[in-house]
Amino acid sequence: MITISTREHAGTRIGRITIDRPDKKNAFTPTMLAEVREHLRTLDGGATVGDSSPAVGAIVLDGAGAAFCSGFDLSLCRDNSDALGLLLDGLAQVIRTMRECAAPIVIAAHGAAIAGGCALLGGADVVITHHEAKIGYPVVRLGISPAVSGPWLAQGVGFGRARELLLNPTLITGWDAYRLGLAHECIEDAGKVRDRAMAVAEHLASKPRCGIVATKRWLNELTPAHDAAELALHTSLTLVGSPEERQRLAALWKS
Amino acid sequence: MSLATLTITGPLATITLNRPEQRNALSLDLLTDLHGVLDRLHDRARSSPEPHVVIVTGAGRAFCAGMDLKQVLGDPDAPLTLLASLAEASIKLRTLPAVTIASVNGAAIGGGCGLVTVCDFAITHADSKMGFPEVDLGVCPAVVAPWLVRKLGAGKARAMLLRGGLMSGTEAHQLGLVTECVESRDGLDAATQSLAEKLLAGAPGALRATKNLLNSIDGSTDLELARRSAKVSADVLATEEARAMLRAKLG
Repeated sequence: MITISTREHAGTRIGRITIDRPDKKNAFTPTMLAEVREHLRTLDGGATVGDSSPAVGAIVLDGAGAAFCSGFDLSLCRDNSDALGLLLDGLAQVIRTMRECAAPIVIAAHGAAIAGGCALLGGADVVITHHEAKIGYPVVRLGISPAVSGPWLAQGVGFGRARELLLNPTLITGWDAYRLGLAHECIEDAGKVRDRAMAVAEHLASKPRCGIVATKRWLNELTPAHDAAELALHTSLTLVGSPEERQRLAALWKS
Repeated sequence: MSLATLTITGPLATITLNRPEQRNALSLDLLTDLHGVLDRLHDRARSSPEPHVVIVTGAGRAFCAGMDLKQVLGDPDAPLTLLASLAEASIKLRTLPAVTIASVNGAAIGGGCGLVTVCDFAITHADSKMGFPEVDLGVCPAVVAPWLVRKLGAGKARAMLLRGGLMSGTEAHQLGLVTECVESRDGLDAATQSLAEKLLAGAPGALRATKNLLNSIDGSTDLELARRSAKVSADVLATEEARAMLRAKLG
């Protein structure tokens, strides 16, 4: 349900990781998150940001079908509160791995990037979306805390906006996300977002590697989020299995 | 002739980068003169409340074309000296008690655009060229990065520095790099003057105290970080990959 490919462009390689479960709006299972993480490492040549020669010059993360990613597959959590903990932990690890990759990462956020799908945007270096995309963290409705994405989101939009986005379970448009800084480019046509992300990745991969790798590493160092990210994950995990969450999730299947 | 000049008219001062035949590129000599000008302003501030507003601009067609890369290639010790000088000048500029406005008359590139980022306000025209093309040359905009993170936030700064390239004044305005963008170069001086006059309406003591607080809370006074940023950038410039790339680009 996660596919991986590479393509050559002007003497460099670009990796592509596609969330490929379109019948479920690309909702994540714990296994899928583990696969994304593993593929990121494979494409990056097992290198961390400290090394200067990633296997690919850039990585695109996108989704098959109509939407980038609708978040977690909550049907797994219906009778099993452990699943949610695994999903939250897997998500946190994917975001951290995105940062650790030496290669820059471009996300194509078309259709929808919701909850866990929206959280991924915070780990990317460049996010492409379109005007009508649906973006946000509506999970407080379900008794789930989106705290896990807080530190990364705050880096993108500032603490004030992060507060509004995490506490208000209303979705925003791609255009609003661009205006807030959650996305870096916003085009009209949903159908062209994935191509545009690939073009941006090709452009990034065409640059001399020494500058890009050093710059990403320095930006990581200037804007550390790991300590806050640990606390954030812990906060989200604390609520897992709470009566409030169990009731709210159970109510999803009653209607 | 000084490569960075200072004129003071009452409450308003202007620093002009003055090396127009080299598009005001940051050579060691220019930076030395810029340090001189900034030191004079800091000294003056101890005894006089004026100036309250300082405009930074460039002589001729460009604002500042960035680091003088030819000078950097010739001498292996030059990169760190030059970058450390820029990093320290940036802190001196940031910590001036006066409110600063970058009046971006033309190209502001790399380290030149970095000086724009350090100023409290920036104003330009639609046709200026601004940006951070360091990654296109295989080098790292490490000195600029902390200032851009402070100005735009970490996420926007990340996308801008990794994508490199140049943007028009209009785009720079949309992305938040400049406060204001006028239609053409012809209107820039009047618009700069107008902004300066608005700022001069603020009480000098209140402006100073507020600016000082903002500098404290956003890490602007972190000299150690600035010095380390120079080292990070110089280390990349010292690699054979980056040097070969620069030699090819600079002919």
